[in-house]
Amino acid sequence: MNDALNPSALIYLLTAAAVFGIGLHGLLQSRQILRQLLTINLMGSGIFLLLITLGGGSDGPPDPVPQAMVLTGIVIAVSATGFALALLLRWHELSDSTELDAVADADAVQDAHDE
Amino acid sequence: MRAPDMRVPDMRVPDMIGLGIDAVLALAIVWLALQTVRSRDLFKAMLMFVVFGLLMSLAWARLHAPDLALAEAAIGAGITGALLLVTWRRLQADGHEPADSEHPPLPLWLRLPTAGGASMLVASIGWVALELPATPGTAGELAWQRIDDIGVSNPVTAVLLGFRAYDTLLEMAVVLAAWLGARAVAIELRPGALPGPAYAEVPLVGALLSLVVPISILVAVYLLQAGGNAPGGAFQGGAVLAAGGVLLCLTGRLEAAAQTSGLERVLLVLGLVVFSLAGLLVMASGGAMLALPGLWAIYLVETALLLSIAITLVLLFAAAPGLRRAS
Repeated sequence: MNDALNPSALIYLLTAAAVFGIGLHGLLQSRQILRQLLTINLMGSGIFLLLITLGGGSDGPPDPVPQAMVLTGIVIAVSATGFALALLLRWHELSDSTELDAVADADAVQDAHDE
Repeated sequence: MRAPDMRVPDMRVPDMIGLGIDAVLALAIVWLALQTVRSRDLFKAMLMFVVFGLLMSLAWARLHAPDLALAEAAIGAGITGALLLVTWRRLQADGHEPADSEHPPLPLWLRLPTAGGASMLVASIGWVALELPATPGTAGELAWQRIDDIGVSNPVTAVLLGFRAYDTLLEMAVVLAAWLGARAVAIELRPGALPGPAYAEVPLVGALLSLVVPISILVAVYLLQAGGNAPGGAFQGGAVLAAGGVLLCLTGRLEAAAQTSGLERVLLVLGLVVFSLAGLLVMASGGAMLALPGLWAIYLVETALLLSIAITLVLLFAAAPGLRRAS
Protein backbone atom coordinates (compact mmCIF):
# COMPACT_ATOMS: atom_id res chain seq x y z
CA MET A 1 0.00 0.00 0.00
CA ASN A 2 1.27 3.38 -0.94
CA ASP A 3 1.34 5.29 2.34
CA ALA A 4 1.83 8.64 0.68
CA LEU A 5 -1.71 8.58 -0.72
CA ASN A 6 -4.26 10.46 1.30
CA PRO A 7 -7.83 9.12 1.45
CA SER A 8 -9.21 11.59 -1.03
CA ALA A 9 -6.53 10.72 -3.58
CA LEU A 10 -7.48 7.09 -3.04
CA ILE A 11 -11.10 7.87 -3.91
CA TYR A 12 -10.12 9.59 -7.16
CA LEU A 13 -7.69 6.82 -8.03
CA LEU A 14 -10.47 4.25 -7.90
CA THR A 15 -12.76 6.64 -9.81
CA ALA A 16 -10.12 6.93 -12.53
CA ALA A 17 -9.89 3.17 -12.87
CA ALA A 18 -13.67 2.81 -12.94
CA VAL A 19 -14.17 5.53 -15.56
CA PHE A 20 -11.50 4.00 -17.78
CA GLY A 21 -13.09 0.58 -17.50
CA ILE A 22 -16.59 1.88 -18.17
CA GLY A 23 -15.28 3.68 -21.25
CA LEU A 24 -13.48 0.60 -22.52
CA HIS A 25 -16.52 -1.57 -21.96
CA GLY A 26 -18.70 0.93 -23.83
CA LEU A 27 -16.23 1.15 -26.70
CA LEU A 28 -16.24 -2.61 -27.17
CA GLN A 29 -20.02 -2.78 -26.93
CA SER A 30 -21.06 -0.16 -29.42
CA ARG A 31 -20.80 0.23 -33.17
CA GLN A 32 -22.38 3.65 -33.13
CA ILE A 33 -19.53 6.02 -33.96
CA LEU A 34 -20.82 8.92 -31.85
CA ARG A 35 -21.09 6.63 -28.85
CA GLN A 36 -17.61 5.26 -29.50
CA LEU A 37 -16.24 8.80 -29.49
CA LEU A 38 -17.94 9.44 -26.14
CA THR A 39 -16.42 6.30 -24.68
CA ILE A 40 -12.93 7.08 -25.98
CA ASN A 41 -13.23 10.48 -24.34
CA LEU A 42 -14.31 8.75 -21.11
CA MET A 43 -11.22 6.55 -21.25
CA GLY A 44 -9.09 9.64 -21.78
CA SER A 45 -10.64 11.34 -18.75
CA GLY A 46 -9.91 8.24 -16.67
CA ILE A 47 -6.25 8.35 -17.69
CA PHE A 48 -6.03 12.08 -16.99
CA LEU A 49 -7.48 11.54 -13.53
CA LEU A 50 -5.00 8.74 -12.88
CA LEU A 51 -2.04 10.90 -13.91
CA ILE A 52 -3.07 13.78 -11.67
CA THR A 53 -3.95 11.61 -8.68
CA LEU A 54 -0.65 9.77 -8.81
CA GLY A 55 1.22 13.04 -9.29
CA GLY A 56 -0.50 15.03 -6.57
CA GLY A 57 -1.77 12.47 -4.10
CA SER A 58 1.15 12.76 -1.73
CA ASP A 59 1.73 15.64 0.61
CA GLY A 60 3.61 18.68 -0.57
CA PRO A 61 2.98 21.11 -3.40
CA PRO A 62 1.04 19.69 -6.37
CA ASP A 63 3.24 18.37 -9.15
CA PRO A 64 2.90 20.78 -12.09
CA VAL A 65 4.33 18.41 -14.71
CA PRO A 66 1.38 15.98 -14.91
CA GLN A 67 -0.95 18.98 -14.76
CA ALA A 68 0.72 20.49 -17.82
CA MET A 69 0.62 17.12 -19.57
CA VAL A 70 -3.08 16.68 -18.87
CA LEU A 71 -3.78 20.25 -20.00
CA THR A 72 -2.04 19.40 -23.26
CA GLY A 73 -4.02 16.18 -23.38
CA ILE A 74 -7.37 17.93 -22.94
CA VAL A 75 -6.65 20.27 -25.86
CA ILE A 76 -5.47 17.39 -28.05
CA ALA A 77 -8.53 15.34 -27.11
CA VAL A 78 -10.89 18.08 -28.26
CA SER A 79 -8.98 18.53 -31.55
CA ALA A 80 -8.98 14.80 -32.20
CA THR A 81 -12.69 14.63 -31.38
CA GLY A 82 -13.33 17.45 -33.84
CA PHE A 83 -11.40 15.61 -36.53
CA ALA A 84 -13.23 12.36 -35.76
CA LEU A 85 -16.59 14.12 -36.00
CA ALA A 86 -15.61 15.50 -39.40
CA LEU A 87 -14.73 11.95 -40.45
CA LEU A 88 -18.10 10.80 -39.13
CA LEU A 89 -19.96 13.36 -41.24
CA ARG A 90 -17.99 12.28 -44.30
CA TRP A 91 -18.64 8.64 -43.49
CA HIS A 92 -22.32 9.34 -43.16
CA GLU A 93 -22.34 11.02 -46.53
CA LEU A 94 -20.59 8.05 -48.19
CA SER A 95 -22.36 5.16 -46.50
CA ASP A 96 -25.56 6.75 -45.17
CA SER A 97 -24.75 5.10 -41.88
CA THR A 98 -23.37 6.25 -38.55
CA GLU A 99 -22.21 2.82 -37.53
CA LEU A 100 -19.22 0.69 -38.19
CA ASP A 101 -19.85 -2.73 -39.66
CA ALA A 102 -16.91 -4.05 -41.60
CA VAL A 103 -18.54 -5.92 -44.50
CA ALA A 104 -21.52 -3.67 -45.13
CA ASP A 105 -19.31 -0.58 -44.85
CA ALA A 106 -16.78 -1.72 -47.44
CA ASP A 107 -19.65 -2.32 -49.85
CA ALA A 108 -21.17 1.07 -49.17
CA VAL A 109 -17.91 2.89 -49.85
CA GLN A 110 -17.42 0.87 -53.02
CA ASP A 111 -20.91 1.84 -54.16
CA ALA A 112 -20.27 5.47 -53.41
CA HIS A 113 -17.11 5.34 -55.51
CA ASP A 114 -18.82 3.57 -58.37
CA GLU A 115 -21.55 6.15 -58.66
CA MET B 1 8.00 33.55 -6.05
CA ARG B 2 6.00 30.55 -5.02
CA ALA B 3 2.31 31.25 -4.67
CA PRO B 4 1.39 30.16 -1.15
CA ASP B 5 -2.21 29.33 -2.03
CA MET B 6 -1.07 26.64 -4.46
CA ARG B 7 0.29 24.48 -1.69
CA VAL B 8 -1.72 21.58 -0.51
CA PRO B 9 -3.05 22.06 3.00
CA ASP B 10 -1.91 19.54 5.55
CA MET B 11 -3.87 16.42 4.70
CA ARG B 12 -2.67 14.18 7.51
CA VAL B 13 -5.71 15.10 9.56
CA PRO B 14 -8.55 13.71 7.48
CA ASP B 15 -10.94 16.43 6.54
CA MET B 16 -14.28 14.68 6.89
CA ILE B 17 -16.35 17.24 5.01
CA GLY B 18 -13.85 17.28 2.17
CA LEU B 19 -13.82 13.51 2.07
CA GLY B 20 -17.60 13.45 1.92
CA ILE B 21 -17.57 15.87 -1.01
CA ASP B 22 -14.96 13.75 -2.76
CA ALA B 23 -16.96 10.57 -2.24
CA VAL B 24 -20.20 12.09 -3.58
CA LEU B 25 -18.36 13.64 -6.52
CA ALA B 26 -16.63 10.36 -7.34
CA LEU B 27 -19.91 8.44 -7.21
CA ALA B 28 -21.60 11.01 -9.44
CA ILE B 29 -18.73 10.86 -11.94
CA VAL B 30 -18.88 7.07 -12.13
CA TRP B 31 -22.69 7.15 -12.44
CA LEU B 32 -22.53 9.71 -15.28
CA ALA B 33 -19.88 7.67 -17.07
CA LEU B 34 -22.14 4.63 -16.77
CA GLN B 35 -25.09 6.61 -18.13
CA THR B 36 -22.98 7.84 -21.06
CA VAL B 37 -22.28 4.23 -21.95
CA ARG B 38 -25.56 2.59 -21.01
CA SER B 39 -28.21 5.12 -21.99
CA ARG B 40 -30.21 3.80 -24.93
CA ASP B 41 -30.85 7.33 -26.14
CA LEU B 42 -27.70 8.64 -27.82
CA PHE B 43 -28.70 12.28 -27.36
CA LYS B 44 -29.14 11.69 -23.65
CA ALA B 45 -25.74 9.99 -23.58
CA MET B 46 -24.13 13.10 -25.06
CA LEU B 47 -25.78 15.32 -22.45
CA MET B 48 -24.60 12.95 -19.73
CA PHE B 49 -21.10 13.25 -21.13
CA VAL B 50 -21.24 17.06 -20.96
CA VAL B 51 -22.37 16.91 -17.32
CA PHE B 52 -19.60 14.37 -16.73
CA GLY B 53 -17.13 16.98 -18.00
CA LEU B 54 -18.52 19.60 -15.62
CA LEU B 55 -18.17 17.28 -12.63
CA MET B 56 -14.67 16.36 -13.78
CA SER B 57 -13.79 20.04 -13.57
CA LEU B 58 -15.02 20.03 -9.95
CA ALA B 59 -12.83 16.99 -9.34
CA TRP B 60 -9.82 18.87 -10.76
CA ALA B 61 -10.55 21.71 -8.38
CA ARG B 62 -10.68 19.25 -5.47
CA LEU B 63 -7.34 17.80 -6.62
CA HIS B 64 -5.66 21.23 -6.41
CA ALA B 65 -5.47 21.57 -10.18
CA PRO B 66 -7.37 24.82 -10.86
CA ASP B 67 -5.80 25.20 -14.31
CA LEU B 68 -7.28 21.86 -15.28
CA ALA B 69 -10.63 22.77 -13.76
CA LEU B 70 -10.80 25.84 -16.00
CA ALA B 71 -9.65 23.91 -19.06
CA GLU B 72 -12.07 21.05 -18.47
CA ALA B 73 -15.04 23.38 -17.99
CA ALA B 74 -14.21 25.44 -21.09
CA ILE B 75 -12.84 22.75 -23.39
CA GLY B 76 -13.78 19.32 -22.07
CA ALA B 77 -17.38 20.14 -21.28
CA GLY B 78 -17.99 23.31 -23.30
CA ILE B 79 -16.36 23.00 -26.70
CA THR B 80 -16.49 19.19 -26.89
CA GLY B 81 -20.19 19.32 -26.03
CA ALA B 82 -20.80 21.96 -28.70
CA LEU B 83 -18.92 19.86 -31.28
CA LEU B 84 -20.93 16.75 -30.41
CA LEU B 85 -24.27 18.52 -30.46
CA VAL B 86 -23.64 20.34 -33.73
CA THR B 87 -22.65 17.04 -35.36
CA TRP B 88 -25.84 15.51 -34.04
CA ARG B 89 -27.81 18.33 -35.56
CA ARG B 90 -26.07 17.95 -38.92
CA LEU B 91 -26.85 14.24 -38.98
CA GLN B 92 -30.42 15.01 -38.02
CA ALA B 93 -30.70 17.61 -40.79
CA ASP B 94 -29.77 14.83 -43.21
CA GLY B 95 -32.83 12.99 -42.01
CA HIS B 96 -30.77 10.47 -40.13
CA GLU B 97 -31.09 10.41 -36.39
CA PRO B 98 -28.23 8.31 -35.11
CA ALA B 99 -29.40 5.65 -32.75
CA ASP B 100 -27.94 2.46 -31.50
CA SER B 101 -28.84 -0.59 -33.54
CA GLU B 102 -31.98 -2.50 -32.70
CA HIS B 103 -29.84 -5.54 -32.17
CA PRO B 104 -27.10 -5.53 -29.60
CA PRO B 105 -23.84 -5.39 -31.51
CA LEU B 106 -22.33 -8.27 -29.62
CA PRO B 107 -23.90 -11.60 -28.74
CA LEU B 108 -24.34 -12.27 -25.07
CA TRP B 109 -21.53 -14.82 -24.87
CA LEU B 110 -19.15 -12.10 -26.05
CA ARG B 111 -20.65 -9.31 -23.98
CA LEU B 112 -20.07 -11.04 -20.67
CA PRO B 113 -16.36 -11.69 -21.26
CA THR B 114 -16.02 -8.09 -22.50
CA ALA B 115 -17.52 -6.76 -19.33
CA GLY B 116 -15.47 -9.21 -17.28
CA GLY B 117 -12.26 -8.26 -19.06
CA ALA B 118 -12.93 -4.55 -18.63
CA SER B 119 -13.65 -5.08 -14.92
CA MET B 120 -10.45 -7.06 -14.49
CA LEU B 121 -8.50 -4.31 -16.22
CA VAL B 122 -10.05 -1.77 -13.85
CA ALA B 123 -9.13 -3.91 -10.86
CA SER B 124 -5.56 -4.31 -12.06
CA ILE B 125 -5.15 -0.58 -12.79
CA GLY B 126 -6.49 0.21 -9.33
CA TRP B 127 -4.29 -2.40 -7.69
CA VAL B 128 -1.11 -1.36 -9.50
CA ALA B 129 -1.79 2.30 -8.79
CA LEU B 130 -2.30 1.58 -5.11
CA GLU B 131 0.90 -0.43 -4.91
CA LEU B 132 3.03 2.14 -6.71
CA PRO B 133 5.66 3.49 -4.34
CA ALA B 134 5.91 7.25 -3.98
CA THR B 135 8.75 8.36 -6.22
CA PRO B 136 11.02 11.05 -4.81
CA GLY B 137 12.85 13.52 -6.99
CA THR B 138 10.25 13.83 -9.72
CA ALA B 139 10.37 16.34 -12.55
CA GLY B 140 7.76 18.32 -10.67
CA GLU B 141 10.09 18.92 -7.73
CA LEU B 142 12.80 20.10 -10.09
CA ALA B 143 10.27 22.42 -11.70
CA TRP B 144 9.37 23.89 -8.30
CA GLN B 145 13.06 24.42 -7.47
CA ARG B 146 13.85 26.24 -10.71
CA ILE B 147 10.58 28.10 -11.18
CA ASP B 148 12.24 31.47 -10.55
CA ASP B 149 14.28 31.00 -13.74
CA ILE B 150 11.14 31.14 -15.87
CA GLY B 151 9.69 34.32 -14.44
CA VAL B 152 6.10 33.20 -13.95
CA SER B 153 4.79 31.94 -10.65
CA ASN B 154 2.05 29.66 -11.99
CA PRO B 155 3.94 26.35 -12.07
CA VAL B 156 1.76 24.89 -14.82
CA THR B 157 2.46 27.83 -17.13
CA ALA B 158 6.14 27.54 -16.26
CA VAL B 159 6.12 23.87 -17.30
CA LEU B 160 4.07 24.50 -20.45
CA LEU B 161 6.17 27.36 -21.79
CA GLY B 162 9.44 26.82 -19.98
CA PHE B 163 10.47 23.39 -18.89
CA ARG B 164 8.49 21.38 -21.42
CA ALA B 165 7.97 23.86 -24.24
CA TYR B 166 8.48 21.10 -26.80
CA ASP B 167 5.25 19.46 -25.67
CA THR B 168 3.32 22.66 -26.12
CA LEU B 169 4.86 23.38 -29.52
CA LEU B 170 4.04 19.90 -30.78
CA GLU B 171 0.58 20.15 -29.27
CA MET B 172 -0.04 23.15 -31.50
CA ALA B 173 1.16 21.07 -34.45
CA VAL B 174 -1.34 18.35 -33.51
CA VAL B 175 -4.16 20.88 -33.23
CA LEU B 176 -3.30 22.29 -36.66
CA ALA B 177 -3.05 18.77 -38.12
CA ALA B 178 -6.47 17.91 -36.68
CA TRP B 179 -7.99 20.93 -38.38
CA LEU B 180 -6.25 20.17 -41.67
CA GLY B 181 -7.54 16.61 -41.46
CA ALA B 182 -11.07 17.78 -40.73
CA ARG B 183 -10.79 20.24 -43.63
CA ALA B 184 -9.57 17.52 -45.99
CA VAL B 185 -12.45 15.15 -45.30
CA ALA B 186 -15.13 17.82 -44.90
CA ILE B 187 -18.16 17.34 -47.08
CA GLU B 188 -18.77 20.00 -49.68
CA LEU B 189 -20.65 22.62 -47.77
CA ARG B 190 -22.87 25.16 -49.37
CA PRO B 191 -21.61 28.58 -48.33
CA GLY B 192 -24.21 30.34 -46.25
CA ALA B 193 -25.95 29.96 -42.98
CA LEU B 194 -24.67 27.25 -40.66
CA PRO B 195 -27.15 24.76 -39.32
CA GLY B 196 -28.45 26.06 -36.06
CA PRO B 197 -31.51 27.32 -34.30
CA ALA B 198 -33.12 30.30 -35.96
CA TYR B 199 -32.78 32.44 -32.87
CA ALA B 200 -31.24 35.23 -34.89
CA GLU B 201 -34.64 36.83 -35.33
CA VAL B 202 -35.48 37.14 -31.66
CA PRO B 203 -34.79 40.79 -30.71
CA LEU B 204 -33.14 39.92 -27.42
CA VAL B 205 -30.42 37.91 -29.15
CA GLY B 206 -28.70 41.02 -30.48
CA ALA B 207 -28.62 42.59 -27.03
CA LEU B 208 -27.37 39.36 -25.49
CA LEU B 209 -24.60 39.00 -28.06
CA SER B 210 -23.46 42.58 -27.67
CA LEU B 211 -22.97 41.75 -24.00
CA VAL B 212 -21.70 38.17 -24.03
CA VAL B 213 -19.22 38.34 -26.92
CA PRO B 214 -17.25 41.31 -25.56
CA ILE B 215 -17.26 39.63 -22.15
CA SER B 216 -15.86 36.43 -23.66
CA ILE B 217 -13.05 38.47 -25.23
CA LEU B 218 -12.43 40.21 -21.92
CA VAL B 219 -12.36 36.92 -20.00
CA ALA B 220 -10.04 35.39 -22.60
CA VAL B 221 -7.57 38.25 -22.26
CA TYR B 222 -7.87 38.12 -18.47
CA LEU B 223 -7.16 34.38 -18.41
CA LEU B 224 -4.15 34.92 -20.64
CA GLN B 225 -2.82 37.69 -18.46
CA ALA B 226 -3.58 35.86 -15.22
CA GLY B 227 -1.93 32.67 -16.49
CA GLY B 228 1.47 33.88 -15.36
CA ASN B 229 0.78 33.88 -11.65
CA ALA B 230 -2.71 32.42 -11.17
CA PRO B 231 -4.80 29.69 -12.75
CA GLY B 232 -5.40 30.41 -16.41
CA GLY B 233 -3.41 30.58 -19.59
CA ALA B 234 -3.55 30.47 -23.36
CA PHE B 235 -5.58 27.28 -23.65
CA GLN B 236 -8.33 28.25 -21.26
CA GLY B 237 -8.45 31.74 -22.74
CA GLY B 238 -8.53 30.36 -26.27
CA ALA B 239 -11.44 28.10 -25.40
CA VAL B 240 -13.42 30.99 -23.90
CA LEU B 241 -12.75 33.11 -26.98
CA ALA B 242 -13.82 30.17 -29.15
CA ALA B 243 -17.05 29.95 -27.16
CA GLY B 244 -17.80 33.53 -28.20
CA GLY B 245 -17.18 32.55 -31.83
CA VAL B 246 -19.40 29.48 -31.49
CA LEU B 247 -22.16 31.72 -30.16
CA LEU B 248 -21.80 34.00 -33.20
CA CYS B 249 -22.10 30.95 -35.47
CA LEU B 250 -25.14 29.63 -33.61
CA THR B 251 -27.00 32.90 -33.83
CA GLY B 252 -26.28 33.30 -37.52
CA ARG B 253 -23.95 36.29 -37.17
CA LEU B 254 -21.15 34.29 -38.79
CA GLU B 255 -21.78 31.99 -41.72
CA ALA B 256 -19.78 29.50 -43.73
CA ALA B 257 -17.53 30.83 -46.47
CA ALA B 258 -16.32 28.77 -49.43
CA GLN B 259 -12.67 29.55 -48.81
CA THR B 260 -10.37 30.02 -45.86
CA SER B 261 -9.56 33.71 -45.84
CA GLY B 262 -6.01 35.02 -45.60
CA LEU B 263 -6.60 36.28 -42.08
CA GLU B 264 -7.90 32.89 -40.98
CA ARG B 265 -4.87 31.16 -42.48
CA VAL B 266 -2.54 33.49 -40.61
CA LEU B 267 -4.39 32.95 -37.34
CA LEU B 268 -4.42 29.16 -37.77
CA VAL B 269 -0.64 28.91 -38.01
CA LEU B 270 0.17 31.93 -35.84
CA GLY B 271 0.78 29.95 -32.64
CA LEU B 272 3.04 27.43 -34.31
CA VAL B 273 4.99 30.06 -36.28
CA VAL B 274 5.48 32.55 -33.45
CA PHE B 275 6.47 29.80 -31.01
CA SER B 276 8.94 28.25 -33.46
CA LEU B 277 10.44 31.61 -34.46
CA ALA B 278 10.84 32.68 -30.83
CA GLY B 279 12.44 29.33 -30.05
CA LEU B 280 14.85 29.56 -32.98
CA LEU B 281 15.79 33.21 -32.41
CA VAL B 282 16.91 32.27 -28.92
CA MET B 283 19.29 29.78 -30.49
CA ALA B 284 20.76 32.50 -32.67
CA SER B 285 21.74 34.43 -29.55
CA GLY B 286 23.33 31.39 -27.98
CA GLY B 287 20.50 30.07 -25.82
CA ALA B 288 18.89 26.65 -25.87
CA MET B 289 16.11 26.12 -28.39
CA LEU B 290 12.68 27.21 -27.11
CA ALA B 291 14.20 28.74 -23.96
CA LEU B 292 12.06 31.84 -24.13
CA PRO B 293 14.17 34.87 -23.20
CA GLY B 294 11.79 36.53 -20.79
CA LEU B 295 8.33 37.27 -19.57
CA TRP B 296 7.48 39.35 -22.65
CA ALA B 297 8.34 36.42 -24.90
CA ILE B 298 6.15 34.09 -22.86
CA TYR B 299 3.19 36.46 -23.17
CA LEU B 300 3.86 36.99 -26.88
CA VAL B 301 3.86 33.26 -27.53
CA GLU B 302 0.81 32.75 -25.33
CA THR B 303 -1.13 35.42 -27.21
CA ALA B 304 -0.34 33.69 -30.50
CA LEU B 305 -1.32 30.31 -29.04
CA LEU B 306 -4.60 31.74 -27.75
CA LEU B 307 -5.58 33.15 -31.14
CA SER B 308 -4.68 29.92 -32.96
CA ILE B 309 -6.55 27.72 -30.49
CA ALA B 310 -9.63 29.92 -30.68
CA ILE B 311 -9.83 30.07 -34.48
CA THR B 312 -9.14 26.33 -34.81
CA LEU B 313 -11.90 25.41 -32.39
CA VAL B 314 -14.41 27.75 -34.04
CA LEU B 315 -13.58 26.42 -37.52
CA LEU B 316 -13.83 22.83 -36.27
CA PHE B 317 -17.23 23.70 -34.85
CA ALA B 318 -18.39 25.32 -38.08
CA ALA B 319 -16.99 22.39 -40.13
CA ALA B 320 -16.51 24.96 -42.88
CA PRO B 321 -13.39 26.09 -44.74
CA GLY B 322 -13.84 29.57 -43.40
CA LEU B 323 -16.27 32.01 -41.86
CA ARG B 324 -17.61 35.31 -42.99
CA ARG B 325 -19.90 37.91 -41.57
CA ALA B 326 -23.50 37.09 -42.37
CA SER B 327 -24.95 39.35 -45.03
